[in-house]
Amino acid sequence: MSASAVIPADAAPAAANPASGQPVVAVRGLTKIFKDFWGRPRAKAVDNVDFEVRPGEVFGLLGPNGSGKSTTVKMLLGLLYPTRGHIEVFGHSPRHVATKAKIGYLPEESYLYRFLDSHETLDFFGNLFDLTSAQRRQRNEELLEMVGLNQVRTRVVGEFSKGMQRRIGLAQALINDPDLVILDEPTAGLDPIGCREVKDLILALARRRKTVILSSHLLSDVEDVCDRVVIYYGGRVHAMGSLKELLVQPDTVRITAPLLSRQTMEKVLAIIRQDVAAERIQIDNPTQNLESYFLEVVRQAKERLAETSGAISGSRVAAYLRGDAESAPETDKVLERLTLSAAPKAVESAPAPAAQGAPKVDQARLESLAKAAAPEPPSPSLSPPPPVDMDKANQKLSSLLGPPPDR
Amino acid sequence: MKKVLAIAGLTWKSAFRYRLFWIMAALLLGAVVGLPLMLKDDGTAKGLVQILLTYTLGAVSTLLGIATLWLSCGTLAKEVEECQMQVVTVKPIARWQIWLGKWLGLLALDAALLALAGAAIFALLQWRSGRLPAAEQKILRDEIFIARAAVRYHPPDLSGEIEKRMRQRVKDPAAMDPATLAEIRQQITGDVRSSITEVTPGHRRRWGIDLHSLRERLGGQALELRVKFHTANPDPDIRYLTGWIVGPPNSPQQVGIEQRLPPDSFQEFQIPNVLDDKGILWVDFLNPNETSLSFPMEDGFELLYPESTFGVNFVRGLAIIFCWLALLASIGLAMASFLSFPVAAFASLGLLLMGLSSGTLSTVVEQGTIMGYDSAKGGYSHSPIDLVIVPAFGVALKIVKLVESFSPVDSLSTGKSVTWGELGLAVAQIVLLLGGVFCVFGIICFTRRELATAQGNV
Ligand SMILES: Nc1ncnc2c1ncn2[C@@H]1O[C@H](COP(=O)(O)OP(=O)(O)OP(=O)(O)O)[C@@H](O)[C@H]1O
Ligand SMILES: [Mg+2]
Repeated sequence: MSASAVIPADAAPAAANPASGQPVVAVRGLTKIFKDFWGRPRAKAVDNVDFEVRPGEVFGLLGPNGSGKSTTVKMLLGLLYPTRGHIEVFGHSPRHVATKAKIGYLPEESYLYRFLDSHETLDFFGNLFDLTSAQRRQRNEELLEMVGLNQVRTRVVGEFSKGMQRRIGLAQALINDPDLVILDEPTAGLDPIGCREVKDLILALARRRKTVILSSHLLSDVEDVCDRVVIYYGGRVHAMGSLKELLVQPDTVRITAPLLSRQTMEKVLAIIRQDVAAERIQIDNPTQNLESYFLEVVRQAKERLAETSGAISGSRVAAYLRGDAESAPETDKVLERLTLSAAPKAVESAPAPAAQGAPKVDQARLESLAKAAAPEPPSPSLSPPPPVDMDKANQKLSSLLGPPPDR
Repeated sequence: MKKVLAIAGLTWKSAFRYRLFWIMAALLLGAVVGLPLMLKDDGTAKGLVQILLTYTLGAVSTLLGIATLWLSCGTLAKEVEECQMQVVTVKPIARWQIWLGKWLGLLALDAALLALAGAAIFALLQWRSGRLPAAEQKILRDEIFIARAAVRYHPPDLSGEIEKRMRQRVKDPAAMDPATLAEIRQQITGDVRSSITEVTPGHRRRWGIDLHSLRERLGGQALELRVKFHTANPDPDIRYLTGWIVGPPNSPQQVGIEQRLPPDSFQEFQIPNVLDDKGILWVDFLNPNETSLSFPMEDGFELLYPESTFGVNFVRGLAIIFCWLALLASIGLAMASFLSFPVAAFASLGLLLMGLSSGTLSTVVEQGTIMGYDSAKGGYSHSPIDLVIVPAFGVALKIVKLVESFSPVDSLSTGKSVTWGELGLAVAQIVLLLGGVFCVFGIICFTRRELATAQGNV
């Protein structure tokens, strides 16, 4: 069980990850307003954003479509100029030519020359980095091998499929062995193996103390590889910090137990209701992961600020598609699903406590928790976030919508 | 430099990959071989060759010019729109290097195509003239397949004489209306000029041309005199008797020549190379006719001497055409630096048309108004916008003159030499000065431009 989550927006980011040296990227008060020909503002794509990316860190930019991720990235690269605010990349302006030797960039779409083949593409970009021909040849080989395109090196990029173009784009971004890699939705259009490879690549880069900035709305990508994230909505940062910080809910308590009988459950609820108003109690399976967290941030952001220049997330699946006018699950229904008296299906969706690694109830803990008026920052051993498990999310979705057609 | 060349190589490669190079080459060769089949000449070998040169060179420069403008707009604007430029500019290459690379790439392409077309024209000329009778071939060799440089007669400074006559005529200038004063001055200027250009019946005129710097180069080689005169009766069928005395005055070296010449067109004939001690060639003209003949101040009297071979001259002529192409490429790139593709293409075509309509510009500037002749008032009416337009057109005209004052096609087809000096001037004025202005403007625009405002749709 858990009480309502509070989103630590604008939380101080430095707490968990002590600064190690100069930040690679520092952004202060960054604002971008797209204007039309007459200078009238058309869209506020990025609005007063601050963040820092430190060396060796994998930094995630998260947000719904049109929330300003790509715009931020393009400003970091000097492709767009900020309306207000200040950007430093390796201590220089984004337009400083020499710093660009240390940066690799994969744009959100394939923006490569369609008449060049993959070999020529890499050779061309290698020339722009002033690499010697021996270096170019060697890196060319290795990169094409890495992205799995060495079989098709003489075919022109214009003929490539979307995923193949993505791969050559990735190879192009790494030709200079960059210290800072900026990837805008690197897994878009890639097959599952490709996605896995990209994630492994990012982790490998991180192990070599390279800095990676990753923009994505694929939460599993971000969750798998990022150390810290910012979450955008409508051009503003609504949450920032390490994943650990963000996913922990310091002002809520969750008691994890094996499935209880209905009577026990009701008894427990009755006791809690004596202290806490009934509507603040929530019962669910402990699936607090990045996905639910993200959805919550976006929901709250939407409540606070109705306006975004990006896409409004669609509501639930259209009624006619769902077949029946299913209403929102009431507490009763949930209870039914969650208690032992429910059908075996409920057992399946209930988490196994051991697998979750949830803490055993510990007398001392209980005491310290009970008397804490203001919640102190919980130590990781108290309630670690449940391990990453995207299957859970999928299961939850399928229990809502019915099984996916391909299973 | 490696980076600039990489960008230039890209333009070159795309021209081949998209088969643009071969299509252009086919078009150019088609124009060179095909056009002469459709041309009508005046029947003489000289006329044929002149018309051949004029049309093929004209067609080649037009084709290449339009292609250059189009390509230069396209290569930059398209890449910005299709976002390839975003990937290039995040590499450690400065924007000016990208711009310059694009320019050099286009120049390389132009150079290759122009060389190809030039070689074809040259081969065609050789082939067609080789099949002519020997007499015709000799005319061609003497008058067209040759590079003759011209030395002009530099008229004396007339302002002293004009002032003197003004003072004689007008005793008290302060008391006179300025308009009348200007009229008098104009009249006197005309009088003074015609007193020099006009040779009345039975009179003579003497020209002295300083050739001392060419003395060694020429040796004893014969020279050619090119003259033009006007008469009161502009009938081209009348031939006027003209007498010429060449050589240092009052010396036994002097040679007399008689020629019957028509008015109002350039006429050439040979004269001996007899200079005085200071290296000056003196030529006296005697007018035995009943009417006066008048030799225009600017081009009434020129000396021609063989300066180089036709081949060298041809290459220099092509080089001037290449200068024009380089300017067009920089105009196209400059427009594409801040406009989108179709707009840039239209803007640069408009600029080109404006340049080509310099006739209108100069009329406006001469008349001092854009309103034209008002027959009701019997004069030119003026409007307030003239205050802005006329000076602006004046400046535009000066700029256009920087480019248009070269006429390699005319020179080549009349056997006149396109001198190294002329070529140097073309490079300086067309490429370095004007091309440089567009280049700087384009680079500034391109550097300031946000390159990611387009969302690509590749
Ligand atoms: N060139 C542009 N002109 C006008 N508006 C723009 C331009 N580029 C982006 N925008 C607007 O800025 C906002 C943010 O766009 P951005 O591309 O940064 O979103 P994003 O977070 O990358 O979205 P996605 O996940 O779809 O890639 C959007 O409202 C978009 O319409
Ligand atoms: Mg994006």
